[in-house]
Amino acid sequence: MTVIEPDQRKSDGADKVSDVVLEQSVSRSAAPVDRAGALKRIALADRIFFQVTRAAAVIVLIILGGVIVSLVHGSLPSMKAFGFGFLTSQAWNPVLDNFGALPAVYGTMITSLIAMLIAVPVGLGVATFLTELCPHALRRPIGVAIELLAGIPSIIYGIWGLFVFAPFVQTHVQPALISAFADVPVLSAMFAGPPYGIGMLTAGFILAIMVLPFIASISRDVFETVPPVLKEAATGIGCTTWEMMRFVVLPYTRVGVIGGVMLGLGRALGETMAVTFVIGNAHKISPSLLAPGTTISATIANEFTEAVGDIYTSALIQLGLILFVITFIVLAIARYMLMRIERNAA
Amino acid sequence: MSLYATRRRRNSIATSLAWAAATFGLALLALILTSLLYEGIRGLSPAVFTQMTPPPGSQGGLLNAIAGSLVMTGIGVAIGTPLGMLAGTYMAEYGRYTKLTMVVRFINDILLSAPSIVIGLFVYTVMVHPMGHFSGISGAVALAMLVIPVVLRTTEDMLLLVPGSMREAASALGAPRAHVVGKVAYRAAKAGLITGVLLAVARVSGETAPLLFTALNNQFWSSDLNAPMASLPVVIFQFALSPYKDWQQLAWTGALLITVAVLTLSIVARALSAGRRKS
Amino acid sequence: MNMTASHNEPPTKVTVRNLDFYYGASKALKSINLPLHVNKVTSFIGPSGCGKSTLLRVLNRMYDLYPGQRAEGEVLLDGQNILDPAVDLNALRSRVGMIFQKPTPFPMSIYENIAFGIRLYEKLSRADMDARVEEALRGAALWDEVKDKLHTSGLGLSGGQQQRLCIARSVAVQPEVILFDEPCSALDPISTAKVEELIEELSEQYCIAIVTHNMQQAVRVSDYTAFMYLGELIEYGDTDSVFTTPKEKRTLDYITGRFG
Repeated sequence: MTVIEPDQRKSDGADKVSDVVLEQSVSRSAAPVDRAGALKRIALADRIFFQVTRAAAVIVLIILGGVIVSLVHGSLPSMKAFGFGFLTSQAWNPVLDNFGALPAVYGTMITSLIAMLIAVPVGLGVATFLTELCPHALRRPIGVAIELLAGIPSIIYGIWGLFVFAPFVQTHVQPALISAFADVPVLSAMFAGPPYGIGMLTAGFILAIMVLPFIASISRDVFETVPPVLKEAATGIGCTTWEMMRFVVLPYTRVGVIGGVMLGLGRALGETMAVTFVIGNAHKISPSLLAPGTTISATIANEFTEAVGDIYTSALIQLGLILFVITFIVLAIARYMLMRIERNAA
Repeated sequence: MSLYATRRRRNSIATSLAWAAATFGLALLALILTSLLYEGIRGLSPAVFTQMTPPPGSQGGLLNAIAGSLVMTGIGVAIGTPLGMLAGTYMAEYGRYTKLTMVVRFINDILLSAPSIVIGLFVYTVMVHPMGHFSGISGAVALAMLVIPVVLRTTEDMLLLVPGSMREAASALGAPRAHVVGKVAYRAAKAGLITGVLLAVARVSGETAPLLFTALNNQFWSSDLNAPMASLPVVIFQFALSPYKDWQQLAWTGALLITVAVLTLSIVARALSAGRRKS
Repeated sequence: MNMTASHNEPPTKVTVRNLDFYYGASKALKSINLPLHVNKVTSFIGPSGCGKSTLLRVLNRMYDLYPGQRAEGEVLLDGQNILDPAVDLNALRSRVGMIFQKPTPFPMSIYENIAFGIRLYEKLSRADMDARVEEALRGAALWDEVKDKLHTSGLGLSGGQQQRLCIARSVAVQPEVILFDEPCSALDPISTAKVEELIEELSEQYCIAIVTHNMQQAVRVSDYTAFMYLGELIEYGDTDSVFTTPKEKRTLDYITGRFG
C-alpha cells in the first residue's frame, strides 16, 4: 500500500479542475428544473402517507377504546339495578330479572386455580426437562412442537374434553375420588355428589392442558436467559442438576417465571370455548368440585343470544366487563414482570 | 458421605419428577392430537367439502361453514391488516415519541390478550343490536378487531428492528419519508410483517367466541353478508353439543380441518421468520 | 501546490457561520465558522465526542429526523441558508449526499440500490437507467466486480464492496456535496485504500467533507483539515500546515498523540 503525500497527490490533477467545474455547472443547470416538479409531487404524496398512517392510528385508538367504553355503557342498566350487590349476589333468575355475578366469578376463579395447580408444576417440569435433561437432538423439535400446540384454537381442547376426557373422568376418575375421600372430613365435601363427568374439575383439567404448552414454552424461554456462566459455575462447585435449578436458575428467573404463569392465568381466566363444553352451565356455588358450575365466559357464550330484555343483556355485558377488568389486572402484572426479566437479560 | 447420598437422592427424585412431568404433558398433548386425527379422519369424505350442513339425523357436509369461515376471515384480515399495519407504521416511523403512540400502544396491548368473547360483546352492541339482526359482516368485523392488535404489534416491533442507519441512508439520498418507509423499511421488515399477518390469520381462523353472537350460524349456503353466516368453529360448537351422532362426527372433522389450517399457517410463519433470522 | 491553494482559494461551496447545535439542553457545537471549497476535500478530526459527526449531520440536516435536536446560526449552500425551516429537506439532501460509518445497502438488488435514488427525481427509460446505473457503479470503481450479478442482493457483497455500493448510490443522484462520516472505520486496510482512492477521484467533481478518526487518512485524502475539540473548532487550515505547523497547542497535542 502506498501512502500518498498530500503535496504529490494533487499536483497532477491541478489543471483538470477548471474544466470539471465547467462541465458540472452545465449538467447541473438542467437538473434543478426537473427536480422542482418531482419534489412537489413527492412532498404531496409524503404528506398524504403521513396523514393516512396517523388517521389509522387514531381509528385504531377509537375502535379499541370503543370496546372499553361500550362495555361500561352496556353495563350501566345492570349497574343501576343491582349496584355493588351484583358482585356478591348468587341469584341468576332471567324470569324475575334478578342477576348476580358471584357464581360465575367463583367458577372462573376455581377453574383457573385448578388449571394453574396442574399446569404450573407440569409446565415448569417440561421446561426443566427441555433445558437440562432432554437429549440435545430432541430439544428443538419438542420445543417447536410445544410452541405450535400453544397456538391451537381452544375449541379443539373443548371438543376433546367433551367427547374423550369427560367420559373418562366420569367412569374412572370421579368414582375413584369420591370413594377415596368419602371418609375424610373436608375433602369428602369437595369430591361429593354423582359423577357427571362434566363440572368444575373437568373444566379445570381442560384449561390446564390448554395453558400447559403456553406456560412450558414461556418458562423455557425464561430459563434460557440464564447466562451459561452461572450454570457452569454451579456445576463447577459440584451442584447437582436439582440444586442448580433450585439455587441458581429459579432464583435468577423468578420474576420471569411468575410473569409467564400470570400470562397463562390470564388466558385461563378469559378462555371461553375450552370451558363452555364441559362446565355444565349451572348458576350455583357448590362446595363439590365435581358439581357443574359456570364461568363468566361460559355464561356469556351460552346465554347471550337467548337473553331477552335489557337487564338480562346488560347483566351479561357487565359480566364481560368484570372479566375484562380481572384479566387486565392479571395481564398487567404479567407484562410488568416479563418486562423486568427482559431488561435484565438485555 | 451420607450428606452426599441425600443430595444425590434428592437430585434423582427431582429429575425423575421433571421427566415424569414432561412425559405426562407431552403424552397428553399427543393424546389430543391422535384422537383428533382418529375421529376427524373417520368423517373425512368428499361430501364434507361439497355438501351443506345437514338437518339433524341426516348426512351432509361442512361446505357452507368452510365458505363462511373463509369469507369472514378474509374480510376480517382485509380490514384489520391495513389498519393495523398503517397504525403500526405511524407508531414506529412518524410518531415514535408522541402521546398518541403511547396511548395506542397501551390500549393495543390490553386488547392483544383480552378475552375474545369481550370483542364479541362489543361488536354485538355497536353493530348487531343497531342493525337488528346477526350478520356475516359483523362477524368479519369482530375478527378484524382481533387481527388489528396482532398486526399492529408485529408491524411496530418489526419496523423498530430496522436499523436507523438504513433510514438515514435513504433520507440522505433525498428520499421523502413515505419512500423511506414504503420502499426501504417495509422491505427490510418484509418477512416479519408477513409472519405477523399469518399469525393473525392463524389466530382468528379458530376463534369461536366472538362469532357466537355476531355472525351466529346459518344452516344453509349464504353469500349475503347482511344475513347470519355459518363458520366452522360455531358449527363445531353447535354440532358437538348436539345429541346427534352425524353432527358430532362433522364436529370432529371440522375440528381437524381447523387444526390442520392453523398448524400449516404457524409452520409457514415460523419458516419465514427463521429464514429472516439467517439472512 | 497547497501553498498556492491557500493564497488563491478555490470558490466556496458551503459556508458555516456562527453555528450552535443542541441535543435537547446540552450544547454540542459552539459557534462554528468554516468554509467547504468546491472540488476540495475537507477532513474533520478530533477525539470522540468532539462534535465532528454532529457538524457533518447539520450539513444535510440529518438531525431533523430526531426530535429535540436543533441548530442555530447559518449554513450557506451556494449562498442559501439551509437551516431555514422553509428549505425542502428532500431537495437539500439530494444535493448533499452522505456516506455512513457502517455500509447501509438497502435490502434489494445491487441494481435497485442504485436506481432507488435516481427514480426519486427522474423518470428514465430502461436503457437510460441501465446506463446511469453503470455510470454510477463505474464511478465507484465497482462495476467490474458486480456487473455479472447486478440483480442479486446488495447484502451479499463484502463490507468494502457494500461501502462502495453506497458511494455509487449517492453519486447516482448527482449531488454537489458528499459527506463521509468515518467511511472506513468498519473496513479492512485494502478496502480502506480503495475507498480513499475513490474519495480522491470524486474530489475532482464534488465538494467533499470527511470525518475521520485516522489522522493518516486525513493527511492522505484531504486538502483542508479542521480540528475540533469539545464542540469547538480549534483550528482550520490546509492539511499540510495543520499537521506540520499547527498554530494551537491542543492541535499539536492531538496530532502527536498526547490525548484523544
